[in-house]
Amino acid sequence: MTEPLLEIKDLHVSVEGTEILHGVNLTVNAGEVHAIMGTNGSGKSTLTKVIAGHPDYEVTKGDVLYNGKSILEDEPEDRACAGIFLAFQYPVEVPGVSNMYFLRSALNAQRKSRGEAELSGAEFLDLVKEKAKLVDIDQGLLNRSVNEGFSGGEKKRNEIFQLAVLAPTLAILDETDSGLDIDALKTVASGVNSMRDPERAFLLVTHYQRLLNYIEPDRVHVLLDGRIAKSGGKELALQLEDKGYAWIEEEAATA
Amino acid sequence: MTTRTQNRFAHTYTLLRKALPDEPGWLSELRDEAFENFKALGLPTVKHEEWRWTNLKRIADTDFVPAELAEVSEAQLAKYLIEDADEIRLVFVNGHFADKLSKLPTIPDGLVIEPISRVLGSDEGLQVKLGRFAEPTQPFTALNTALFTDGAYIRAGNSLTIQTPIHVLYVSTDSDAPAVSSPRTLVLAGESSELRVIESFVGHGNSPRLVNSVTEIVAKGNAAVRHVKLLRESDGTSHLGWTELNVERDANVSSHSINLDAGLARNDVHAVLAAEGANCSLNGLVLGRDRQHFDNHIVVDHVRPHGTSSQLYRAVVDDKSRSVFAGKVIVRQGAHGTDAQQQNNNLLLSNDAKVDTKPQLEIYTDDVKCSHGATSGQLNPEAIFFLRCRGLDETHARNLLTYAFANNVIEHIKIDPVRLALEKLLTERFAGLLGGSP
Repeated sequence: MTEPLLEIKDLHVSVEGTEILHGVNLTVNAGEVHAIMGTNGSGKSTLTKVIAGHPDYEVTKGDVLYNGKSILEDEPEDRACAGIFLAFQYPVEVPGVSNMYFLRSALNAQRKSRGEAELSGAEFLDLVKEKAKLVDIDQGLLNRSVNEGFSGGEKKRNEIFQLAVLAPTLAILDETDSGLDIDALKTVASGVNSMRDPERAFLLVTHYQRLLNYIEPDRVHVLLDGRIAKSGGKELALQLEDKGYAWIEEEAATA
Repeated sequence: MTTRTQNRFAHTYTLLRKALPDEPGWLSELRDEAFENFKALGLPTVKHEEWRWTNLKRIADTDFVPAELAEVSEAQLAKYLIEDADEIRLVFVNGHFADKLSKLPTIPDGLVIEPISRVLGSDEGLQVKLGRFAEPTQPFTALNTALFTDGAYIRAGNSLTIQTPIHVLYVSTDSDAPAVSSPRTLVLAGESSELRVIESFVGHGNSPRLVNSVTEIVAKGNAAVRHVKLLRESDGTSHLGWTELNVERDANVSSHSINLDAGLARNDVHAVLAAEGANCSLNGLVLGRDRQHFDNHIVVDHVRPHGTSSQLYRAVVDDKSRSVFAGKVIVRQGAHGTDAQQQNNNLLLSNDAKVDTKPQLEIYTDDVKCSHGATSGQLNPEAIFFLRCRGLDETHARNLLTYAFANNVIEHIKIDPVRLALEKLLTERFAGLLGGSP
C-alpha cells in the first residue's frame, strides 16, 4: 500500500497560549478530495494554517506527516516548495508588487528548490495565458498589484489562479467559496475539478455545503471544538445541509 | 558657541569674496545683505521648533573652508549618470563648473542652460530672479546666497516644450580640511513651457563637508516642470538643501526628493501656489541605514483659489538611522476650492531606527478639501507569511515588500529614465529580487 500524502496525528495546537485543536486525526491520500466542515471557531482555519506553517501557531502535541515525513520543523517556504499550497481565506493585498512578478518569483523559487530550470519571461507568459483561461481571470488583473483593490471574488479567483500556476501536490482551500456569487463559485469549482489528478489531493475547508454541489468530495469531516467529530462520504454534507450541526454536537457529547 | 560659529563662516565669507573679485555690483550687494541676515539669524539649534529633531552640532563645531574645484574623471562620474538622461548635463565639482564633464549640445532657441557664472553679467532675468523666491530670510538660504560660487541656470521661453531631461550634477570630493560648497540652481519656466530637471547631489570620498544648496523653480502660467532631486552624498557629508517652488496660474510642478545616501540631510521644500489653479505634487523617499539622518520639511502654501497639492513621503529606516518628516499645508483666506492631500508612511526595519513625523494643516478658508495621514510600522507579518506560503524565503519576502513600499514613491516620477534607474537601484539595494520590475 502506498503512503498517505497527508497524515495528521493527534494534533494539538495553541495560539497565544490557548489550545484551539485538541487532537485532530486525519489521513488524506493522493488523488482524494476531502472536505472539512464546521461552525465558526471550530478550528478549521487553524488547521490549515498549521499545515502551511504559520509562525503564530504552536504545535504542542502530535505530528503532521507529508509524504511520510514530519513537516513541523519546516519553514512555510519549504513546505510550499515541497508542494503544499494554501489558498487564503482572506487573501493579503501586496501593494506595489504585480501579480505577474510575484507569481514568477514564487514559481521559480519552487522550481529552483526542486532542481528544475527557472522559467524565462516568455515561457512564464505562455503558462500564465493557459492558466488564466482555466480560471477565467481578467488579464488586466494580472498586471496589477497582488490583490490590491480587487473585489472579494477577484481575490478568490486570484488564489485559484495561483493554485493553477503553481500546481501543488496538496492544495488546501480555506473557505475559498465564502462570499462568492454563483458564477465565481462555479469558476473556482471548475478550476479545482480540472486540476483533480491521481497524484494530487485537495483539502477543502468550507462553511457551506453549496461548494460540494460543484466539487464532489471523497470524504467529508466535521470539525467540532478542535476535534474531528464525524467523518463520512459526500452524503454527510447533505445531512449537515438538512439538519445543521446540532445533532453531531449531541452525538459527540453522548459518545 | 553661536557667535563662534558665525565668525567661522565670516572667515569663509571673506575668503570667498576675495576669490570672486569681478562680480557685478548687484550680486555683491545681495551677498552682503544675505550674510548680514545669516549673522542675525544664527545657526538653528534643537530649541527651534523646526529643528528640534535635527541637531546641527556637527556643523556648528566645524571650521569650513570654501570648497575648491578638483579633478573628477569621466569614469568616476559614470556611476552617477542616468541612462538615457545624459544628453544634456551640467556638472559642478565642489560648487565650481566643470566644463569638461558637462555636455551642452545645440539647444533650441529660447532655451538657456548655462552655469550661473557665465551669464551673471549678461542675463537680466537672472539678476531679477535670483534670490527673489528663496529669500535669504532663512539661515541656510541666506548662507547659500552669501557663499554660492556657481550653479545651474535653466530658462525656457514661452510655449517651449523640452522633453529631454536636463541633468545637473553637484559632485563634492575629498579635501584636506572640511569644506563648504553652496550649489545654486535657478529654473525659470516660461508660460506654457515644459521642463524636466534632475539634480543629483553626489559625494565622492568621505571627508567631512557641508553642502548647502538652494534650488529655485519658477513655473509661469500653464507651465509644467518635473523636478527630481537625487541625494547620493557620502556619509561624511552634511547636506542642507532648500527647494523653493513658485507656481503660477494653472501651472503644474512636481518635485521628488529621493534620499538615497548622506550622513545628515535636511531638505526643505517650500512651495507657493501663487495663482489660481496652480498645482504641485511633492513626493519623497528616504532609505536610511547605519547612522544616517534624514529630515524632510515641507511647506505648501495655497495662496489663491482652486489649487491642488499632494504630498507622498515615505521612509524606510534600517540600523540606527533616523527619518524626520514635517509637512505643513497652509490654505490662505480666499483660497477656496483648494484640494490638498498629504501622506507620510514610515517603515522601520530595525528596533534601533527612529522616525518622527509631524503633519500639519493650517486652514483659513471654507470650501476646501484637505486630508492628511501618517503611519509608522513594520512589514505586515501576514503579507510575509503569504509570500512564504507561495515559496519565497523570508529574506526574499521581506525585500520584496520593502521594495514595493519604496517603489510606491518612485512610480510617481514622470521622467522615465529616472524612474527606471531608481527602480534598478532599489532592486540592487533589496537584493535577491528577480530582474525586471515587480
